[in-house]
Amino acid sequence: MKRNTFFAFASPSIVVMLALMVVPLMMALWLSTQYMTFRNITEPDFVGLRNFIEILEDPRFWRSFSFTALYTAIVVPSWVVIGFIIALFLDQVSGLVRGVYLSIFLLPFIIVPVIGTIMFKQLWEPSGLLTWVYQQLTGSRYRVNETSVKTLIIIFGIWYVTPFTIVVYFAGLQTLPAEMIEAASIDGASRLQKIRHIVIPYVSSLTVFILLFSIMDAYRVFDSIFVLSELNPQFKADTVMTYTFLTAMQVQRLGKANAMAILTVIGIMVVLVPFLRLMYKEQIADR
Amino acid sequence: MDKVRRPAGRVFIHTVLLLFAVYSLVPFFWTALQSFKTFKDAFSRAPILIFQPTWANYQDVWIRSLPDAGSAVGYLILAAALILTCLMLFARYIPVNPAWIYIGCLVGYGALLWAIPQLVYMQKFYSYFINTIIVTVFTILISISIGCLAGYALARYAGMAAVLILISALAFRALPRLAFVLPYFWIGSLLNLLDSHLLLVIALVAVNQPFTIWMLRSFFMEVPKDLEEAAMVDGANRLTSFLNVIVPVAWPGIISTALFTLLLAYNEFLLVRVLTQTNWTLPVAISRYTGAEDPAQLTLAAAASVSATIPIIVVILFFQKHLVRGLAAGAVKG
Repeated sequence: MKRNTFFAFASPSIVVMLALMVVPLMMALWLSTQYMTFRNITEPDFVGLRNFIEILEDPRFWRSFSFTALYTAIVVPSWVVIGFIIALFLDQVSGLVRGVYLSIFLLPFIIVPVIGTIMFKQLWEPSGLLTWVYQQLTGSRYRVNETSVKTLIIIFGIWYVTPFTIVVYFAGLQTLPAEMIEAASIDGASRLQKIRHIVIPYVSSLTVFILLFSIMDAYRVFDSIFVLSELNPQFKADTVMTYTFLTAMQVQRLGKANAMAILTVIGIMVVLVPFLRLMYKEQIADR
Repeated sequence: MDKVRRPAGRVFIHTVLLLFAVYSLVPFFWTALQSFKTFKDAFSRAPILIFQPTWANYQDVWIRSLPDAGSAVGYLILAAALILTCLMLFARYIPVNPAWIYIGCLVGYGALLWAIPQLVYMQKFYSYFINTIIVTVFTILISISIGCLAGYALARYAGMAAVLILISALAFRALPRLAFVLPYFWIGSLLNLLDSHLLLVIALVAVNQPFTIWMLRSFFMEVPKDLEEAAMVDGANRLTSFLNVIVPVAWPGIISTALFTLLLAYNEFLLVRVLTQTNWTLPVAISRYTGAEDPAQLTLAAAASVSATIPIIVVILFFQKHLVRGLAAGAVKG
């Protein structure tokens, strides 16, 4: 394809991304240096880096940051480990049974996350099924407090994204060459040894892919936490994203919220840039 | 991997899978039960599994007041929907070009959706449902048409510009929505565009574009180059050979991508929450049910959640193959 044809085909998409992603990012950068509330939206005041300093001195920001870190640290390994194990099990069945299981497993990932959250919450209402089970098992009443809200958020996070890793690993397992396994069987390797020495190395590039996107997805999770913590604001279950949202829409400090978003962008870029360089080299080599 | 053959092992595998299926389904099961309960049953301390089901919650979510000939109107609407659906399903057996039947049915569905509030006094929830459909449909149409052109170009052009676009798209895909949404909100409030479908569609197309072009590119790369070269030798130009030769071959991939765009638009919460004040789509509307302190909202929230989930489950049942292909393409081919 010639250069001109390429640009003729790609230009609508390029224009959309330039106008609606690059330009807004520039705007966010500019807004982050302004003092702006809903009242002076047309004539903001320039305050330089004061928004950033305010954020770094804000204990609530650090609290939400540490919960985000905790969430990511628990949820991401769970996605990878549970997803891989269930994909191995799913690989053991075939035909219609496999299709039915796959459909069922996909369900939490496909539905609207907000609705998933509400459904999850229904289980833990005072009249909910799991509240009752909890009380039968422990003999004590289920209480809503900071720890239980945070636990609920984390369990929900695991529940609704695991299907993604299951499907990715499952698709990866389908491409595993049968000869590799046969050779190991002839050598007398046990099932666990095969998994340890053949399957896990074989899917390692998938694991890198999943880890990268999981970390970023976990870091910027919003919907479920917002819905769960909006109900009980006293439980301090904010993440960086929900705190940014609240700063913008409730406290109405648009400038400060934009500064927070910029800090998040910088944080994500630090994780992302090595990977982007890798992709760049790969794409250049592929040409 | 080779299959486990020992009977004990097979039993173990099926037990684990079954338990995981239960784990995946419990919230759905419980919410569906709650949505059919009366207020009293839903709030009993020990969970009630057997009860007299009621449609009252669904009626409260959707309908404000019934017309005098309530059931007759209801059957009329159901019959119309049923006829349209049967027409769609059996279109290929009717000796007319199926494309016309599909277009006719879609127009029919549109007319039906328009007619319902004329016949029955519906709740606001219905207008949120319509908003969701409008926003989702336009997002898919725009996003896929410009995405196909770009995805195809990126699959066929090896220049530096293509690599740069792909890499920056990847970077945009990873950034938080809030970084883009707050400037949209600012522009929207300056231009008085907040609460409009237009702004929502534009924002959704934009934030989904990086993902769309990556995915479509991976599907277009599978199409052999000889195909369009043969068409171009026959005198077609790039665009017509693309539309007439490549698009039909890559069609399953395009459906997969459209499916993901559908899910993204249908599920979107943050953008809608920031950019609208009353013209919500379903996720924001439903989150409002739980925001209230009134416990009576619990069963309504359950009914609303089930109502909004059914269309998605229908979509999965019809398109599971495309969905799995899409998820696999995103990762395995990278």
